[in-house]
Amino acid sequence: MERGYWIRSKPVYSTLVWQQQANAHIVLVEGSAGGLAAMKLFQQMHPEHPTKVLYARNPVVQQDLSIPLSKVVPDALLMFETTEESLVAFEAHLSSACMGLRIYVAGSERFIWQMAQMADKYGIDDSDIIKELVGTLARPIYCVHCKTISYEAHTNIKKCDGCGKQLFVRDHFSRRLGAYMGLMVDAEDPGQIPSIEEIYP
Amino acid sequence: MSTFKVVVSNIQQITPLIKQFSFIREDGASFPPFSGGSHVVVAMNINGRLHRNPYSLMGSPQAPDAYHIAVRLQEHSRGGSAYLHHEVKVGSQLEITYPNNLFALDKRARKHLLVAGGIGITPFMSQIDDLIRTKANYELHYAYRSQDHAAFTSALKEKCAERVHVYVESEGLSIDLKALLSKQPLGTHVYVCGPNAMVVALIETARSLGWPENHIHSEQFLAPPSGEPFKVKLAKSNIEVHVPAEMSMLEAIEAAGVDAPYSCRGGACGRCELEVIRTDGVLVHQDHYLSEADKAAGKKIMPCVSRAKCQSLEINL
Repeated sequence: MERGYWIRSKPVYSTLVWQQQANAHIVLVEGSAGGLAAMKLFQQMHPEHPTKVLYARNPVVQQDLSIPLSKVVPDALLMFETTEESLVAFEAHLSSACMGLRIYVAGSERFIWQMAQMADKYGIDDSDIIKELVGTLARPIYCVHCKTISYEAHTNIKKCDGCGKQLFVRDHFSRRLGAYMGLMVDAEDPGQIPSIEEIYP
Repeated sequence: MSTFKVVVSNIQQITPLIKQFSFIREDGASFPPFSGGSHVVVAMNINGRLHRNPYSLMGSPQAPDAYHIAVRLQEHSRGGSAYLHHEVKVGSQLEITYPNNLFALDKRARKHLLVAGGIGITPFMSQIDDLIRTKANYELHYAYRSQDHAAFTSALKEKCAERVHVYVESEGLSIDLKALLSKQPLGTHVYVCGPNAMVVALIETARSLGWPENHIHSEQFLAPPSGEPFKVKLAKSNIEVHVPAEMSMLEAIEAAGVDAPYSCRGGACGRCELEVIRTDGVLVHQDHYLSEADKAAGKKIMPCVSRAKCQSLEINL
């Protein structure tokens, strides 16, 4: 990678920190790493405003943090097995929420941007969501050729789930699609595939 | 700056202190449509001195037969509102700029919450047309001092029905900002125009309740405040301009025959920003445009409303 090279569309993530000016809070976390991010958040403090934690245990829980979380925030915790169930509960919450709700998300990029797309549907910009990338650097990839989004790209080049082309995983990111751009890597020299390396563990 | 030559086609006394002026083009052509919340700058030659004041456009933005502005007679008028109220008659000729919008509706909003104080109702008079036309979800909360100040209330009630909420201060009613801003559905955008205290209170209340900055919109045109006289040296033009106490820096520069950029002339848009080269005193920033950091750094100034407390100020113009 060229030094000093940075694409503005590539999201920059931070660490979950409570927003003091708020009316209510909702914390959306995925897997054991997300659960830990929520635990860290409650180490900072327990906010005075109404708070909910939505914990999706997927994909594979190495360490289940539902027990410590339920001790720390017994009234606020809602547990789900999958992101999809968590999304349904998030939407139900958004539909009755008022302005002043602060949204915190910790998980993979796939999870973060699924939540951000849902918030967008309710008029909240992703720039107003506190986002922490945890667990994995796996990228969702949008194939510019067949428009399929493939998940779990751990390598610099990944085969498209839709058309089977070998896609070069770029840094260009679409907030609307919640995915990085993928371009056929051997379009100009068919069959010439550079070495495939794991760079998004 | 592109302008229209206009003729005053109608004047209506809306309240004891507010008059509505309607303009048609001198060349008989029609005006371009505009977006709700737009304003024009009206140029007036008052005793040989050029005054330019921004006023919100009212009425239908889609098919404007004429442009309409409402002007409140200011107690301490610098000349503009008194001139319009006392000197301008039907048939008078004026010059106005093309419309510009610093207070546009955010089309992503799921609900629009409009909050007006007094003459601050004017930008909403065109926004409401846009909101009704696009069938948007909105509410208007309109506060004024007394029935004597009730501009456009009956027209608004007719247009907006149950969506308009009126608060008459003399009847002991005022907007409970905290209650209002606490119960707005997610995705609401708030827009405020009115006296400074109201605008500041609304912004502070919204922030403290956790409203993101990009959901809070405000418009306040400032009349250039008077201050101490000072001298400004224009580095590129290589001339020195005296800024009298009751004239803005921008007006003084223009009076000296130098073309300076401007748009809103009310400290809101940022178009007139000038680079400060040096000063032997302090800058008195009065605009709503520069950030606190920029104001502290002292390298930029908005000459439409800001001045300096100094012997001399040198700017890159």
